Amino acid sequence: MVPPEYYLLLSSGLFCIGLFGILTRRNALYFLMSVELMLNAANINLVAFSFYWGNLTGQTFALFAIALAAAEVAVGIGIILALYRNFGDVDVMQAATMRW
Amino acid sequence: MSLLQIEPTNWIYAMWSLQPVVILAVTALLVLGIDSLSPDSRSNRLLAGTATAGTLVALGVTVWYLAAGTGAAGSGGPISLFSDAIVVDGMGLFFIAIFTSVAALVVVASVDYLEDDDNPAAFYSLLLFATTAMSLMAVSNSLATVFISLEMASLPSYALVAYLKTNRGSVEAGLKYFLIGAVSAAVFAFGISLVYAATGSLLLPEVAAAIGDVTDLAGILGVGILMVAGGFLFKTASVPFHFWAPEAYEGAPAPVSAFLSSASKAAGFAVAFRVFAVAFTPALDVAINWGLLFGILAVVTMILGNFAAATQTNVKRMLAYSSIGHAGYALIGLAAITAGASAANATVMGAAMAHLFVYGFMNTGAFLFIAMVEYWGVGRTFEDYAGLGRKAPMASIAMAVFMFSLAGLPVFGGFFSKYFLFLGAINAGFWWLAAVGAVTSALSLYYYSRVVKALWFEEPNGNLDALDSKPTGLYAAVIAAGVITILLLPGFGPVIETAEAAAAAIFA
Repeated sequence: MVPPEYYLLLSSGLFCIGLFGILTRRNALYFLMSVELMLNAANINLVAFSFYWGNLTGQTFALFAIALAAAEVAVGIGIILALYRNFGDVDVMQAATMRW
Repeated sequence: MSLLQIEPTNWIYAMWSLQPVVILAVTALLVLGIDSLSPDSRSNRLLAGTATAGTLVALGVTVWYLAAGTGAAGSGGPISLFSDAIVVDGMGLFFIAIFTSVAALVVVASVDYLEDDDNPAAFYSLLLFATTAMSLMAVSNSLATVFISLEMASLPSYALVAYLKTNRGSVEAGLKYFLIGAVSAAVFAFGISLVYAATGSLLLPEVAAAIGDVTDLAGILGVGILMVAGGFLFKTASVPFHFWAPEAYEGAPAPVSAFLSSASKAAGFAVAFRVFAVAFTPALDVAINWGLLFGILAVVTMILGNFAAATQTNVKRMLAYSSIGHAGYALIGLAAITAGASAANATVMGAAMAHLFVYGFMNTGAFLFIAMVEYWGVGRTFEDYAGLGRKAPMASIAMAVFMFSLAGLPVFGGFFSKYFLFLGAINAGFWWLAAVGAVTSALSLYYYSRVVKALWFEEPNGNLDALDSKPTGLYAAVIAAGVITILLLPGFGPVIETAEAAAAAIFA
């Protein structure tokens, strides 16, 4: 059996890659992909520790998390489409009519 | 125990207790159904009437349950269903009462706002779905249901903020809200996965029981709790995840701003109170002192929200920052929790719940007044509001009530809720939280009274000629919120008693 620390390393690595993508990419679609990476890092943890603890709670929750991630992308793509129609670009820094 | 092993009569009784949530969900589907049966007829008023009736019935059932003591300690204790993933108790019902009241006010106010809209059914059903999910958040007893219901509340909220899809401000606000919301959801999910890694369960009581046995994974648990806290700080618009709020509230349609800043914030606190009080209190000694973390964040949130509000020229943005400040006050309810002091914990958390209740009415009313001003097409700055008191006296009186109540002047409901909150903090030994709260409240009087001064004491500057239309729905909602804010001064006793009894049941 692979020790649980390795799973934690893998998932935190994936999480950090996603976070790096969010902080550096200005394209809204890359942003969505990076968020997906972060959510999947959580799913790796859930599935791995579901095996470690010997109950199915984590695996079941991972299925729900995947479904929610899909729903989130659906709403996100809709908003990004509206962004493109209004600003002519999917650059998240373009939308800055209000000050941050 | 699996679902099938429970006796059928008990199961029906348990499902019956979830009725407010079911009514909200059915109403949302009904609104969609009416629209799909007659997609071409412009049935804005019929849809709004259905939505209002649904929220009011849900509110009535909730208040009835609260009065009858459903799920309270005296009558059988909390009712759990779906293998304990959902638990109906006083705290959940109390928060559902807040969400349904705010939703009813917002729906009534939206009628005029959506008069010329092509597809009002989308708006009402999104609003009702979000309310349903918030009600589920309030009764979630497992980190899984917490995450799912929180996302279910967030997704309609993103769409509502970006609802005016040809309006640049609205789309920009929706984008920013969505981007930050998506990141915080991912952080929240990762935090939950770490808590699960350390404890092996997602049910809140089981997490609490397992925390004592966590030894070599205590660091993982600490990081997990921090990340879960981050998710809640986003939902409640607290520092350091507050910066989406001014953008989203300013750009969104004003009824949506009212809904988000009152109901969505209260939902974040509902779930944060339950998760941290039930699951993470043992972790105070083992993994991470999150009480101190929330204390520091409460202080920073109160100071930042109130100072930033004082520098605004745009009234809607000022209210957005003031709602950040109020998140700081409510955070006191979490910050003052100490391990083993259940009576003091319950008092201060109950006071924070009562504050969110009063805040639900006064803040919704204030944003709906902004909605009315937007409807008239008057500008957005303090100067544009000059002299409105003469043109629209009833609404302006109500706005003055909201402003003074938000500031905590001792003539309206907002005074008692803040008073009990600060008193509770002092009794729990956190005098510094109460001190910062009192000082920032005094500061807040400055910018709230600027609105009242503009409304009543300044000369109109010629932009109020178009004020002949009377938006009935907006008027009704603003006046109703104003009357309730005034009535909450003499009627604060039952509210605080219900809230403290509900909080005591959590810590028992």
